[in-house]
Amino acid sequence: MPPRLPGKLLQLSLSLRDIQLTVPRVPVRTFGIRSLNPPKPSRFNNNPGLPVLESTSTAALRRKANSLPLRTGAIGIKKGMTAIFDAETGKRIPCTVLQLDRVEVVSHKTREQHGYFAVQVGAGWKHPSNMPNSLLGHFSANGISPKRHVFEFRVKDESGLLPVGQSIHANWFQEGQYVDTRSNTKGKGFAGVMKRHGFHGQDRSHGVSLTHRSMGSAGPSQGGGSRVYPGKKMAGNMGNTQNTVQNLKILKVDTDAGLVVVSGAISGPKGCVVRIQDAIKKPWPEIASAEPVAAAAA
Amino acid sequence: MAALPTMRQLGCLRSLIKTQEAIQPQLARRFISTAYSQRPQRVPLPQNLPEQFLSQLPTRMLPENAPKPIKVYTPPPSARKACKDPIGKVTELQLETLDPKGERKALFDYRRNPRSIKPGDIIRVTFKNGDPFNGVVLSIKLRGIDTSFLLRNELTRVAVEMSVKVFNPNVQSVEIVQRAQRKIRRARLYYMRSRKHDRRSVENVVNAYVRQKRAFMGGGKR
Repeated sequence: MPPRLPGKLLQLSLSLRDIQLTVPRVPVRTFGIRSLNPPKPSRFNNNPGLPVLESTSTAALRRKANSLPLRTGAIGIKKGMTAIFDAETGKRIPCTVLQLDRVEVVSHKTREQHGYFAVQVGAGWKHPSNMPNSLLGHFSANGISPKRHVFEFRVKDESGLLPVGQSIHANWFQEGQYVDTRSNTKGKGFAGVMKRHGFHGQDRSHGVSLTHRSMGSAGPSQGGGSRVYPGKKMAGNMGNTQNTVQNLKILKVDTDAGLVVVSGAISGPKGCVVRIQDAIKKPWPEIASAEPVAAAAA
Repeated sequence: MAALPTMRQLGCLRSLIKTQEAIQPQLARRFISTAYSQRPQRVPLPQNLPEQFLSQLPTRMLPENAPKPIKVYTPPPSARKACKDPIGKVTELQLETLDPKGERKALFDYRRNPRSIKPGDIIRVTFKNGDPFNGVVLSIKLRGIDTSFLLRNELTRVAVEMSVKVFNPNVQSVEIVQRAQRKIRRARLYYMRSRKHDRRSVENVVNAYVRQKRAFMGGGKR
């Protein structure tokens, strides 16, 4: 064991060693080819072939760019179903009638302020006395009458932001174009497992008593951990959840009456609120693709 | 009778103490009771407050920070009011092209039109794309654009039923071959499906009608 030195002495010895290092070395002749800049291992992983980080908001927007519509949608009220006969083929097409009632742009969501681009759209009318002052002030600040329904429609970029206060009429959609519709399904209340998840239930007889429509076992016993796994399908509240129906064709449009006739069925009861926007799985309608060009020309 | 105060002379003192105890809680209750007082009202600021005093007010009470009334904008004209029956409107728009004169509608409107087709009649329907179909009318469903009728016949000894939409553009013509023989008391003749009441084939009746019609029209060609 070396003898212990007091702290001050130890420091002194160190400083002496430093002085020795700073003294210019006598050049020693070396043989062979040597690199002037020998490769230094870096502590950081900064070579050029690194993948770009995908967990940023910018990357998220870039990823979504192809699946975000170019223009805003509209809020409609489901009025019921009927049918339309195709004049040439005579084919009967079942359809849903939607009505756009005083649909107006309320405000915008922008990348700088909110992190994404969206158009806030309102529809209908609500008596101002039935409305909280904060909401009333929001409408008033944007110069718009109080709206009953307010929803947001995401758009790809700034060119999709319709000016605030502009009304969206039924002719916003073209006949023949495709749309996606979002609405809440019909509420079924507290539903059993057979109705809610399509379970087979249990036997009518063979010794089964009083549990003909109930769930069987909720999970394995000791071997499976003696617990019910998360997400186990059970009885509970059914319906009244949002459902998107994609790729519905627009069959007819009536601007004066605010009618949009869409092929096929839409979730929800009559009178429910339906959000309509250009279908993301079909080519954008010609209006939508023409608008940015026109804006660029102007 | 043992506790009479006259019997024990010092006992009266004890009764005095007892009454004190009995009274005291009542007194205490009286202290707890509260009198009704009106809710304090905010004292308004004096009118025309001199400017030198304004700095002493909290900022929210300064006159320029007083709550402004929210301006409520009037709504644009309502499409909902303009069209109260959207389904009816869509139906109307279609009927303008499918049935401009309202002939088909009248032909099947058995509730209002006495000359219309009625359940029990034998009918011949021709189509733009396909063979004609004959049969007895079992029922007529009046459902706007989806108005339809149900025909029953027998082809190759097999009973056949066919539902036809009245306003389908593929329907070229509907002819009444024969009216019901007796008065029919029902709107839906589903009992004709039972063996006892089955009308069986109507081809004979229809063939006779077609021959007669051809003779009237003068064209002998098939």
